[in-house]
Amino acid sequence: MELWILFGVFAVLLLIGVPIAFCLGAASFAAVAYMGLPPLVVFQRLNSGMSVFSLLAIPFFIYAGDLMVRGGIARRIVAFAGSLVGHIRGGLGQVNIAASTLFGGISGSAVAEAAAVGGLMIPQMKARGYGVDYAVNVTSMAALIALLLPPSHNMIIYSISAGGKISIADLFTAGILPGLLLALALMTTAYFVARRRGYPTEAFPGLVAVAHLAAVAVPGLLLIAIIFGGVRSGVFTATESSCIAVLYALLVTVLVYREMTWRDFVHATLGAVRTTATVLLIIGTAAAFSWLMAYLKVPASLVAWMNAISDDPLVIILLLNVLMLLLGTFMDMGPMIIITTPIFLPVAQAYGIDPVHFGVIMVLNLGIGLNTPPVGIVQFVTCAVARISVWEAMRSIWPFYFAGLLVLGLVTYVPAISLWLPGVFR
Amino acid sequence: MQDGPGKGVMARVARVLSAVSTVALWAAGAGLVLMTAVVAWQVYGRYVLNRSPSWTEPGAVMLMSWFILLGAAAGVRENNHLGFDVLVYLLPRGAKGVLRTISDLVVLAFGAGMVWYGGQLAALTWGSTLPSLGISGAFDYLPVVVGGVLIALFALERIALRLGGAPVDQELDEAPAAGEREEAAGAAQARG
Repeated sequence: MELWILFGVFAVLLLIGVPIAFCLGAASFAAVAYMGLPPLVVFQRLNSGMSVFSLLAIPFFIYAGDLMVRGGIARRIVAFAGSLVGHIRGGLGQVNIAASTLFGGISGSAVAEAAAVGGLMIPQMKARGYGVDYAVNVTSMAALIALLLPPSHNMIIYSISAGGKISIADLFTAGILPGLLLALALMTTAYFVARRRGYPTEAFPGLVAVAHLAAVAVPGLLLIAIIFGGVRSGVFTATESSCIAVLYALLVTVLVYREMTWRDFVHATLGAVRTTATVLLIIGTAAAFSWLMAYLKVPASLVAWMNAISDDPLVIILLLNVLMLLLGTFMDMGPMIIITTPIFLPVAQAYGIDPVHFGVIMVLNLGIGLNTPPVGIVQFVTCAVARISVWEAMRSIWPFYFAGLLVLGLVTYVPAISLWLPGVFR
Repeated sequence: MQDGPGKGVMARVARVLSAVSTVALWAAGAGLVLMTAVVAWQVYGRYVLNRSPSWTEPGAVMLMSWFILLGAAAGVRENNHLGFDVLVYLLPRGAKGVLRTISDLVVLAFGAGMVWYGGQLAALTWGSTLPSLGISGAFDYLPVVVGGVLIALFALERIALRLGGAPVDQELDEAPAAGEREEAAGAAQARG
């Protein structure tokens, strides 16, 4: 009965449009009141859930991404990517994906990336005669690469939700090959769709131009080495690296590119406040919610229930994937990771799945959910940038969904794709 | 602007609350910049001064609490909290208003709960001292209380405005892919 109250109140409030942060808080409050526990506990959990040092990485990485977009780092990376892959069939689509891969290596937020790369590429693609639906689908799916490549703040959320015992450096490293695999799969898909539709290629600008554009983009791209090298070698923690990313982005945009005005700075700062404060409040109320789930032994019941279905890990992980894909269509990624990690991770571990591997599966799986209606924030943002409706984009997204699901399948059933690289570094 | 004293008062209240919300937002922005400085100081301290200051982690975490709760409160007034709006879009206008009012009531109630229970927690921890910051443990819960006050106030304002017939939900009633709100794209960051 307690569980029905907890999940029932949450579902009803969510459906009538109450913001997620308050759905989670109010449902926890209702369950606690029903169970006769002191309501203080909800607010104590809310406060302790928000007071975690590693959470600082979320506002910092988003802030750094905002600064990079406003200060011209993103634009130079797109130009560099253009010179590299523009001459492949479906040229600007390939550029879009390559730019997302490079920018994803320094930003980590799929929405920031869809807005930044989409804002630059979609108008160009329209002008060159590409279908808007193609432009949107390439952008929104390529944005998911950012989730897997370090620095991914979603990996940090996963590590925190798992009790902070999983190494963030390992998670960062584990995401690299799956991220590159996703890039490859999307470029291949973009190639075939472009060939069928007869889209053009861009002229290769020559090695001199490539070298020049690369040199211009290097100050931004160096951040990849700084973050990854710093975290991997233990010079600084993941949280500290996010702070370094902010300082470095400021340094490059103010001193090197000299594009950051005071106005841009204020916009980037307030923008980061607007977007991260609400997400972090969700993390706080979700902490109360997931504490109650643990108190009510939800994970243990789920393991028992799964045991009754099958004892084959391959079947269980398939079930978990399907469940996450379904849930992911209805909810945003951050809250989903916080709520489902404490439930699903014990199940996965009970069947011998490595927690780092499971983290990569979860981030990719829920990432695909960012591109599925009814709640698909990356898709919504990309459609808003391109000024088309979600339904127009949906009509031709299927080959790209297929590529994403194929990569998800490979990552799920070939653990080495995730676990080989962290093993090399260890 | 001349339809009775009630609207005049409401307009004045709205102006004050708008100023409060802007102050909260800017304070949260200042908090973000300060957090950056504090964590940078921690790295600097470790490598350049060769000793790690012990106050930086709890200090940055406390700044983050203020940042979250002030920013989230401003988010209630600016209406940029994440939610599942699909069902609400499909309903007729009257039903929309009812659901939005219920939603604001939930927010109001939770804000009031933050004030009440956050206050109790602060009272309980008043006598304790936070190690390494050297201040009362009650400071831990102060952001929850202040954030709760603002969240409740802003939710109440929305309810009052809607009852008075003001178009508080106008932006929300446009389709999600209307494509005219570039700020929405900006405001949507961090969700992925």
